[in-house]
Formats: sequence, structure tokens, C-alpha cells
Amino acid sequence: MKKRLYLELENCIGCRSCLAACTQCGGHEQRNRNYVYDVNPLVNRQTMPLMCLHCVNPACARSCPAQAIQIHETGAVLSALVEKCIGCQNCTIACPYGIPKFDTEQNLMYKCDLCIDRTKDGIPPMCESVCPSNTLQWLTDEEIEAKNQQFNLDNGKWVTSMPYLEGETNVRVNLPGILQGVTKLF
Amino acid sequence: MQSTISPANQTEHSINSAFASHFAKSMFFTIVGLAILVFIGTRMFSHIDLNLYGYMVGTIVFIGGFFYRFIAWGERPPTKIIIKKGLKLLFRKKTVKTAVNHLAIYDFIKKRGFYRWLQHVLIGWGCILACLVTFPLVFSWMYFTMADNGYYTVVVMGMDVIKVKADGIIAWLSYNALNISAIMVITGVCMALYRRMKNMQARAEQKFIYDLLPLYLLLFISVTGLLLTVQNVFLAGFLQPQMSLIHQFSVIVTLIYLPFGKLAHIPFRPMSVFARNYREHYGEQHMKECKVCGNHFVSVEQSNDVIQVLDVNDIHFNMEDGFNLAELCLPCRRKYRISRFSGIPTHQVKHKEANQNARG
Ligand code: SF4
Ligand code: SF4
Repeated sequence: MKKRLYLELENCIGCRSCLAACTQCGGHEQRNRNYVYDVNPLVNRQTMPLMCLHCVNPACARSCPAQAIQIHETGAVLSALVEKCIGCQNCTIACPYGIPKFDTEQNLMYKCDLCIDRTKDGIPPMCESVCPSNTLQWLTDEEIEAKNQQFNLDNGKWVTSMPYLEGETNVRVNLPGILQGVTKLF
Repeated sequence: MQSTISPANQTEHSINSAFASHFAKSMFFTIVGLAILVFIGTRMFSHIDLNLYGYMVGTIVFIGGFFYRFIAWGERPPTKIIIKKGLKLLFRKKTVKTAVNHLAIYDFIKKRGFYRWLQHVLIGWGCILACLVTFPLVFSWMYFTMADNGYYTVVVMGMDVIKVKADGIIAWLSYNALNISAIMVITGVCMALYRRMKNMQARAEQKFIYDLLPLYLLLFISVTGLLLTVQNVFLAGFLQPQMSLIHQFSVIVTLIYLPFGKLAHIPFRPMSVFARNYREHYGEQHMKECKVCGNHFVSVEQSNDVIQVLDVNDIHFNMEDGFNLAELCLPCRRKYRISRFSGIPTHQVKHKEANQNARG
């Protein structure tokens, strides 16, 4: 059963376990490729994670002159192939969420590959495996649909895509209750 | 892209229309060029080494495959921009330095790990050395004649260049250049194969056709090449014609495979020099200020180019807040996304982004 990464943003407690776990994925060479942001840093402690959403039509790959960013058959948008990336950094400028990182010394882009060595066999990515607050989840489409039913919101705001994101994505995001106009019960 | 359709292109149009495609045109001019070079090099075809005929056919098939790939690739909008602007900026002072760095000493690979750098130097320079010896011989751009006893005359492009002692050091190096390159390649390939066996990540990701086949092909070429020498020196030429055919076969298969697999990065790699020039040149000219924080983060040229390339792909990131996403620096762009998720204008809060590096 194909599962996908699913984010319930406001659950985040800011522990940054996902960043630490990311460094430990094979091939990530000890460097994390995801982000955790303070939502309103001078006012409260709410945080939210941000990672590659694995766009269906990825701007990073479309802008790459070297075809270094491949799209895996699972839909994951992979990190740059080391022998192909020519170091132009187009991808960093193109990504609507500012995800790809660039190593100037190695002249190489690196980004979230959804831990492809794991997810290609149906094992959840590292970040999801360690998230203690259920912000990151690994669910089938049916389970995501069931959550949708449970909240029974008919206003199109339950799972983000348009207009909150810039295009369809393989990772699904659940908008915080604030935007949905509801208080969620867990 | 409007900029590519300029009046200056009108005159070219008549030449272009004589050919069915870019492919046909490039193929035609390259083969003609090659034929002219062979004509000069062989003193009007009077000195062709027909033993090497197979390589010649292999090379021509390779050129066909290469153009096929390269033209399909160069048609993509982002590639087109880099090639066009890269060619325009080719004569910058820094080009030589960047080219040596990227194409000869591979400094950036050393930063990815010494082991990988060493293996790349051995394989890369082994292959370059072998090509520098083989192809001039194949097309008879270089050959040896012996007029006086004990001295070879090296003929390059039909001209006598130097006389070397048949048992001197230069002659020895030329006889053995291919053996040396074979040993370099074998060492490099073994290092690469060892890494691919031991490194769990490499094992998880590698595909036979993409990652392993090119290594086996290079190994196949080098081993059969070395065996030729062994047969020659130790076995009095035993089974040498057969081995020579096998060796030729291995080279031809590799040449045909080259434009399509991992080895395709060899002919495409010079593009990294273009990319560096592009970033440096336009970076010196005019830097883009982030629409939110005002920091300089990329050249205006590149920001515009990316927006244009995405437009061609029907991807439009113009926001209601009055900017294109490619006009925000990366931290601001990420914060802007958080603001879209949360409804709170995170990107407007004057607060440095929290540390995003798990290792501190
Ligand atoms: S989120 Fe950015 S990096 Fe990830 S696939 Fe989309 S464009 Fe590429
Ligand atoms: S930096 Fe590398 S991966 Fe990114 S667009 Fe340029 S060549 Fe492609």
C-alpha cells in the first residue's frame, strides 16, 4: 500500500528531532535537509517544520539545466546527481519554498530525497520515524481521507494544495486549525 | 523566449533550412571536419592504419549518439540559456582557472572526499591519456616512421615534429602510455567498485545499468588492452589477433554507450565552467535585493532567467503580495511559506532565522 508523508503542522513542539534524524539518513553525509521555523518568534513558541513537498511538477527540476534532479517512480524528487550537477543554483532560486541547499565548496546542490533508500521499499523517511508529536505522519491515501472525514470540513481547506501551495504536491499538508476556522480536537 | 528570435538570425536561416534538423547539420559538419583532418593528417590518405578501422566506425557512431543527446538536452529552456550566455562569457579571464579547476584537477571532488577524488583522478586521467594516444593514431593525425636506424620520426598532422631514439625515454613512454593508462584506470575502477561494495548508501541506490556497467566496461577495455601487451611481450603474440578484436569490440561498445549513461557527464561537464562564469559575471554586474529583507542573494540576471524558464514551463510564482517567489532570498522565502501556512506574517517579523543546522 503506497503511503505518503503527511504533515499536521500545528502539532510541532519544536524539538528538532526531524533535523537530527535527517543527518543520519544514508547519503545525507551528516547534514540535514529540512527546516523548523518559529511562527511568531517574538510572541510565542509555536514552531512548524518545513521540508521539500515533492511537487508533482517540480520547479527545481524544471529549472535545472543539467537534468541533475531526477524524479523517482514513487514521485519523490531526488537530490542532485553528483556527476551531473553543474553548480548553477537555478534550483535554489526556482523552488517556491526555498528548500534546496547548496554547498559552494563541493559545487553541489543537495536536498530532501524523502530518504529514497527507505521510502522506495515503503519504510517511512527518517524525519517521520522520530517525530514525537505526530506532526509528521506516514499514511495511506485512505487514512488521509479518513482524517478528512473525521473533521468533516466541506470548505476545501482541509488538506492544502491550491491556493495555499503553489502546485500539487506528493507530500500532503494539513492546514492548522486557525486557517480552517475550527479548533481541532485530538 | 523572445530574445532568441532576433533579426541577426535571419541570415543563418538559409543555411539551417538546408538541413532537416540541428542533428543532421551538426553531424554533417563534424564528419566533414573529421574527414578533412584525416586528409591532412594522413598526407592525403597515403598513410592510414587500417587495423584501426573499427575504432573509426565506433567514433562516428559515438558522434551520432552524442549529438542526438546533446541537441535534445540543449533544447531545454534552462540549458539553452546557460549554453548561450556561457558561450558569450567564454573569454573571461577567469575561464582558464575555472576550467583547470573543474575539468583537470577536480578540486570540488576533493571536497567531497579524498578517496573519491583519487579514484576520479585515476579513472579520468587514465581515460584522457588513453584517448590522447589512441584517437590521433586512429585518424592518423600522429604516426611514427623510421628513416634512420634507431630513430623514430614522430609525424603530427602530416609534419615531421621530432626524432626520438627508439630506445630512449620518450619512445619508451609512448610505447607504454596505453599500459600506464590501463593500470591507472584499473586501479581507479577497483577503488570505485570497492566503495560501491562497502558503502551502504551506494549499495542502496546504485543501478546496474547506470552505476556499475560503465565501471565494468572501463575494466573490460583496460584488462583486454593490458593482455595485448602481455601476449606481445611474454607469449610471443599468442592469440593476439583475437584479443585485439575483443579489445576493439569493448572500446566500440563503450563509445556507443557513452552518451547515454553515467559517462555522459564527461562531454557535458564543461557546462559547469559556463555556469560558474554566468554566476560570477552577472553577480558582479547587478545583484538582486530580496523583496522582503533587502539582502543581496543572487544576480538580477539569474533571478529573471529562472522566472522566465518557469514561465515557459507554465509555472508561475507571482504572489498577491506583489513579488515573484524567485525575488525572495531563501530564508525569507521559507518564512513566507510558514506565514502562508499559519496566517501570521512570519516573514515580516524582524528576527533572524533560528539555527537550521542540526549539528550546530
Ligand atoms: S518543494 Fe522545492 S525542492 Fe521540493 S520538489 Fe518542489 S520545487 Fe523541488
Ligand atoms: S545547482 Fe545543480 S541541481 Fe541545481 S539547477 Fe544547477 S545543475 Fe541543477
